[in-house]
Amino acid sequence: MKKYQLGEFEEVVMLTVGILYNDAYGVSIKKEIEERLKRSVSVGALQTALKRLEDKGYLKSHEGETTAERAGRPKKYFTITAYGKKAVAYTKQTRDELWSAIPKMAWNTKVISI
Amino acid sequence: MKKSPDPPKTFHRFFRWYCNPDLRNSIEGDLIELYHERVREEGKKQADRKFVKDVLLLFRPGIIKSIELQQYSLNTDMYKNYFATAWRNLNKKKVYASINIAGLALGIGCALLIFSLITHHLDFDNFHADSDRIYRFVTEEHRDQIDYDGSVPPVFGKAFREDYTFGEKVARLCTIDEQLIAVGEGSDIRKFSEEIAFAEPEFFSIFNFPLASGNADKVLSGANTAIITERIAKKYFGDEPALGKTFRFENRIDFTISGVLKDIPENTDFRSEIYFSYSTINQYSEWYASDDAWGGISSSIQTFVRLQPGVNPQEVEKVLPDYVKKYRAKSKNVHHYKLQAISDVHFNARYGGKMDKSTLWVLAAIGLLLVFTACLNFINLATAQAITRAKEVGVRKVLGSARAQLFWQFTIETGVIVLLASAIAFSGAYLILPNLNTFFDTRISLDLFLNTRLLLFLALLILLVTLLSGAYPGIILSRFKPVAALKGRLQGQQGGSFNIRRGLIIVQFTISQILLIGLIIMMQQMKYFSNTNMGFAHDATVMIPTGSNDEKLKTLKDQFLALPDVENVSLCFAAPASDDMWTTSLLFDNRSESETFSISFKGADENYLSTFDLELVAGRNFTASDTAREFLVNEKTITKLGLSSAEEILGRQLSANGGSLNGPVVGVIKDFHDRSFQSDIQPLFITTSLEHYNALAVKIKMNNISNTLAALEKNWSAAYPELIYSYSFLDDQIASFYQKEQRMITMVQVFSCIALLIGCIGLYGLVSFLAVQKTKEIGIRKVLGSSVTQILTIFGKEFSYLLLIAFIIAAPITWLLMSNWLSGYTYRIDIDLWIYALELGIISAIVLFTVGYQSLKAAIVNPVESLKSE
Repeated sequence: MKKYQLGEFEEVVMLTVGILYNDAYGVSIKKEIEERLKRSVSVGALQTALKRLEDKGYLKSHEGETTAERAGRPKKYFTITAYGKKAVAYTKQTRDELWSAIPKMAWNTKVISI
Repeated sequence: MKKSPDPPKTFHRFFRWYCNPDLRNSIEGDLIELYHERVREEGKKQADRKFVKDVLLLFRPGIIKSIELQQYSLNTDMYKNYFATAWRNLNKKKVYASINIAGLALGIGCALLIFSLITHHLDFDNFHADSDRIYRFVTEEHRDQIDYDGSVPPVFGKAFREDYTFGEKVARLCTIDEQLIAVGEGSDIRKFSEEIAFAEPEFFSIFNFPLASGNADKVLSGANTAIITERIAKKYFGDEPALGKTFRFENRIDFTISGVLKDIPENTDFRSEIYFSYSTINQYSEWYASDDAWGGISSSIQTFVRLQPGVNPQEVEKVLPDYVKKYRAKSKNVHHYKLQAISDVHFNARYGGKMDKSTLWVLAAIGLLLVFTACLNFINLATAQAITRAKEVGVRKVLGSARAQLFWQFTIETGVIVLLASAIAFSGAYLILPNLNTFFDTRISLDLFLNTRLLLFLALLILLVTLLSGAYPGIILSRFKPVAALKGRLQGQQGGSFNIRRGLIIVQFTISQILLIGLIIMMQQMKYFSNTNMGFAHDATVMIPTGSNDEKLKTLKDQFLALPDVENVSLCFAAPASDDMWTTSLLFDNRSESETFSISFKGADENYLSTFDLELVAGRNFTASDTAREFLVNEKTITKLGLSSAEEILGRQLSANGGSLNGPVVGVIKDFHDRSFQSDIQPLFITTSLEHYNALAVKIKMNNISNTLAALEKNWSAAYPELIYSYSFLDDQIASFYQKEQRMITMVQVFSCIALLIGCIGLYGLVSFLAVQKTKEIGIRKVLGSSVTQILTIFGKEFSYLLLIAFIIAAPITWLLMSNWLSGYTYRIDIDLWIYALELGIISAIVLFTVGYQSLKAAIVNPVESLKSE
């Protein structure tokens, strides 16, 4: 089923937007990911992902307040749509299914082989 | 809060430029927020670096705005609508449209003609195989000044062919104009005057003139054989095959036709259509055929070579001085033989090239300027009219037109106008072409379908003109704010910057003023030529070629003298001023070496002085004789010889023309101009020599001219029934010295008229624009008591400024250009201030005339009309 397809980074972004709840906009999402996952995120990669997710209907956005810090440019807040929630849930479910399908042996073998 | 630093501007702008407008603000906000945070935490340098990196990484699909064209579907209906609107607009504003189209058509038409002319000349003699290896031998004659001659001694070609292996093929060609050809026998003889050429067989292996019939290997190898072109064959023999037919040349040499050439293409300087075998040339002139003809140069004989591959022309030039040493030991190393590339022959005026390359570039520049002014004009008019399209733009924008869409709509509209203008320009050019061909003495054809280069040029021109003139108005129009446009609130300011328009007018007027000033100076110079005394009488003088050089000629002279309206007759080599020059070296008195200057020889009988009113300053006229016995020289010769007075030379011996002319000097004549005013007066001598007389100079009374001319012809034809009679007036011959100048003047006349016309069209556009813009202002001024004159002054001031600025730019440019042009003449006018004053007067009058009507119209409008609507 190809219905809900999320890339790895897209999934991370979706989840972070969820974590930040009402405070998810470009800079906060970027910082949150960088802090939690200890990886650097470029503005370009993040914005492309956000746009793609919005186009797919997983996220929706609204313009928020402007601050002097942003030279009068509004913040664009993202929230997860119901459809988006389904997509994340679906992704989690498929992962779990895959996890549980791995036989115990595989783990052991892997450990031994190391 | 301290003012925090800004992110790098260039990249910030770059980001704003490429970013999708939907995303722009929020992402920009993010970037700025991050930037400020980084400045605080990591310092400005690091923050800048990261900002740049972010901007560059954001440059990716998804963030970049999609090209606007893709935002609407490519809908053919829309384009149909554009064309329909364009057409309706043209129909609605017929005056505006026709002014516009006329301006563009003039520019494009000139560009087309100039392009054809230039390519025509650049194509000369480029169709011969290996033309990069074909050269002509030429001579530099080093005396006290260097003279250039497009030929070498007659025997040179033969010697070079035998002595050196540099040449793959060497060919001599002897071209003679206006020769008598007689076709037919008995009572059915037809006479033609033609340019003929004696050519060595190799000529046709170097140059690509293919045969239509006849054996290519044997062509022109036998004596008394000839080949002619298909055109001449048709002219002489009609539909009968020409091969094997005979005809008679100059009433003494018979030729049999051994081949027929395909017609000569237009783009070659070899215009002869009758070629005789070179082995027959001894029957024409023994000197031309002689094996030791190293003594002089005849411009008739040209020598060509196609070098072996890999041979460097400099290498060849190195061995040529040996000939001078060997064969011209006594002549002080005057001759320097050089090689001239065939591609240079048509353009090098020194060696008699027909078309100066610089003239071509000047033409190209003028053509470019004309197209450019036409475009400027269009911009001017289109932006001035833009207001009237405001509502349309408003409605279109409200209905969802994007800016790009509107821009392309107006560009397409411009395209339609340019296309129409091009069609008119092409037809116009086609109609004018025959006149142009006579004018330039060319045979250019304008055939779009055969000449792909011309087609390409036209297409390119249309595209260029469309973009050049359509882009700016397109931008202006598509920029209108819909709300303001629909409310009718747009005032002139939105019709594009007024200063840009002023700039355009200044450029146009600079161009037309440069042309106008140049024209006035050229015409003054020509007037100077025709008004300045040449030092001899040239009015009412008929020049008739001689038919023979014997007693018959002298009898004819006496018959002429007996005619009632003939005042005087002189037998001579040429008129005092003539293009026919015979220069030779001079041995004076008992000096051991010949002089370092060359001297001009004019053969003439004892009536020469009285016929041309030449003035003796010392001594006497020579007595009648058939051979050289006594000499006259001019004052210049005295100075050149280093003598202090005219009397000093009297009685001393001259020897010239390699010793064939000898005798004492009996008189000195006052200097007269022996050529055009372009050149200095040359030293010259006159002596009697029946065998060198080429013309009868007949001074006639100006009443009853036609009877006199008829009587002259009757007598001449009775004396020479086998020859063709022709005559010309000396005044016309002298005028032809200045043919090049006359051409140039006519050209500049035409072009300056066109430039002025286009300029006036632009001016008209500007003044109408100004009138619309100032409607309300004028209304209020009038209500407050302004008179019509005061309002006219407002307009007058505006245009006087523009005119003056253009004049200030044009004046120094023309001064430089024209001083340069004038320096080519030994006798010339000064560039006086009054010329500039005159020009300014003329142009002011034209401007006044153009501007006057529109501004008067604006000034007399009843203020009630202009103020009642808001």
